[in-house]
Amino acid sequence: MQPESHPPPLIPHVEFKAAVVLVLALALIGGFLAYVMYARGVFESTQRLVLVADDSEGVKVGMDLTFSGFPIGRVQRIELAEDGKARILIDVPSKDARWLRTSTVFTMERGLVGDTRIRAFTGVLDDPPLPDAAMRPVLRGDASAEIPHLVATMRALLENLERMSGTDSSLNTSLANAQTVTERMKGRYGALAGVLGGEDNARKVITALDRSNALLASVGEVSAKLDRIIVKADERVFGTAGVMDETQKTIVQLDSVLRDARDSLKKADAVLAEAQAVGANARAATTDLAALRAEVEASLRKVAHLVDEINRKWPFARDTELKLP
Amino acid sequence: MRQSSSLHRGLIRIPGELGAAFLAWCASWWRVFHFGALALVMALSPATYDRENRAVTARQIYFTAWQVLPWFTLLSALLSIVLIRIVVATTQSYGLSQYALEMLVRVLVLELIPLLAALFVALRSGAAINTEVALMHIRGDFDALRRAGSDPLRRELVPRVIGSAVSVVALAAVSGVIALLLAYIGVYGFSPWGLAGYTRTVGHVFDPQVTLGLALKTLLFGLAVAVIPITASLETPREVRLAPVAVLRGMVRLFLVLVLIEGASLAVKYI
Repeated sequence: MQPESHPPPLIPHVEFKAAVVLVLALALIGGFLAYVMYARGVFESTQRLVLVADDSEGVKVGMDLTFSGFPIGRVQRIELAEDGKARILIDVPSKDARWLRTSTVFTMERGLVGDTRIRAFTGVLDDPPLPDAAMRPVLRGDASAEIPHLVATMRALLENLERMSGTDSSLNTSLANAQTVTERMKGRYGALAGVLGGEDNARKVITALDRSNALLASVGEVSAKLDRIIVKADERVFGTAGVMDETQKTIVQLDSVLRDARDSLKKADAVLAEAQAVGANARAATTDLAALRAEVEASLRKVAHLVDEINRKWPFARDTELKLP
Repeated sequence: MRQSSSLHRGLIRIPGELGAAFLAWCASWWRVFHFGALALVMALSPATYDRENRAVTARQIYFTAWQVLPWFTLLSALLSIVLIRIVVATTQSYGLSQYALEMLVRVLVLELIPLLAALFVALRSGAAINTEVALMHIRGDFDALRRAGSDPLRRELVPRVIGSAVSVVALAAVSGVIALLLAYIGVYGFSPWGLAGYTRTVGHVFDPQVTLGLALKTLLFGLAVAVIPITASLETPREVRLAPVAVLRGMVRLFLVLVLIEGASLAVKYI
């Protein structure tokens, strides 16, 4: 198939054809590289999102962050922070960043089959948008990690069910009791026998009911008589020239008596006012009397002093008694 | 007594012969790497491409790439369609169809098509180059060229290496792009609405390491397809009856190297 080199066979436009092959290969490779770069988001402006997880197991570089099933971001780096938590750095293209709000919740789920998935849930799309380089915790839902817990809970549940359905379980006893009660209910006295626990008791209750019915009938008659008595009493009390009429007249008279009493009291009031004025005068008089008494006492002291003087100057006089005027 | 002494001599001779064979093996591989490096350097230096050399290189590209391109493209497209159908149907029956596209891209574009292109070029041009160079070597054409003041390496051998490298890369590129298109149609049908998801998956598969690995692997395939047969031809003693031996050794070694490159690339990627 390979031609002899010497002499080379003549091929039309060989250099052109070689150039076509070269250009075709280069164009395809270049175009494919450009497409891959576009697909990897090289030409997009992105914003950074940092998710903090307890465990980054299953997270790989290049993984998608999905929102409603649509990929809106890509894991760029995973690193271990100083506090021992895993930091997952995600690049979100600016055009998709509007789905992420401050209230967005991020979850990381690991199914039994397939990769770990990082998802974003935004409940309120009107919240302020998530800022660049925001740091958010990621909630971890691990199906395989849940299995032991699930199995333990299931076992407890099954044990409870088994205990409930056993022959001597309370549920079974209750059902047996219910059966007894319904058996009784099927008898002559129906539900009453079921509730009271036997036909004798039910019969007594029914007898008692009959008697009460009779009693109620006689009570009815008594109340009719009582009605009649009340009508008569009404006439006696509230009728013309009845008790109430007389009472009203007496009250009118009592009113005039009371008015007289009020006048008498007014007069007594005036008398008391005058007596009060007299009392006031007497108090003033008492004040003057005190001054008078002081003056008298002073005069007496002067007289006593004078008598002492005379007694000194008149030593012969033996009668020192002095007669007051 | 004489027998035992000859056996003794034979026993002494065996390790020496083994050592000599090992040394020859090492030297042979060394010549492969040396010639490969030399060819690469000459292919990359602009001085190689003078007027006459350009014509020779163009002829090599014409024979190894232009002539086989339509047939190879058709063949690889058919193979791709079959594989795509198998993968899509299987993943659908297992409920794993979301992984079908990624698997197709990885299996077809990254592994199968470059290997297929290299094997195709090896079968079509590698064997021809091997025979031709072996015959030229035995006939003494290279010595004649050398006497005429022309470098046989530059004039005859490097254009063949460039031709097969370009051929492998071009075939792999064309078939790879066609396989990508067929994979899109196979997974999404003729609807344009799968494009976003498709782009995302392709971007996911072709991270920088994988892309670089694919380029390197394809280039190595292209070089090996010409370099190993040429080295094997030049190593043969100049006897016409040994020409088939040269072709045999060259082709076996070439397949070994292709498998080794593919295995190494898989090991780097997945282990």
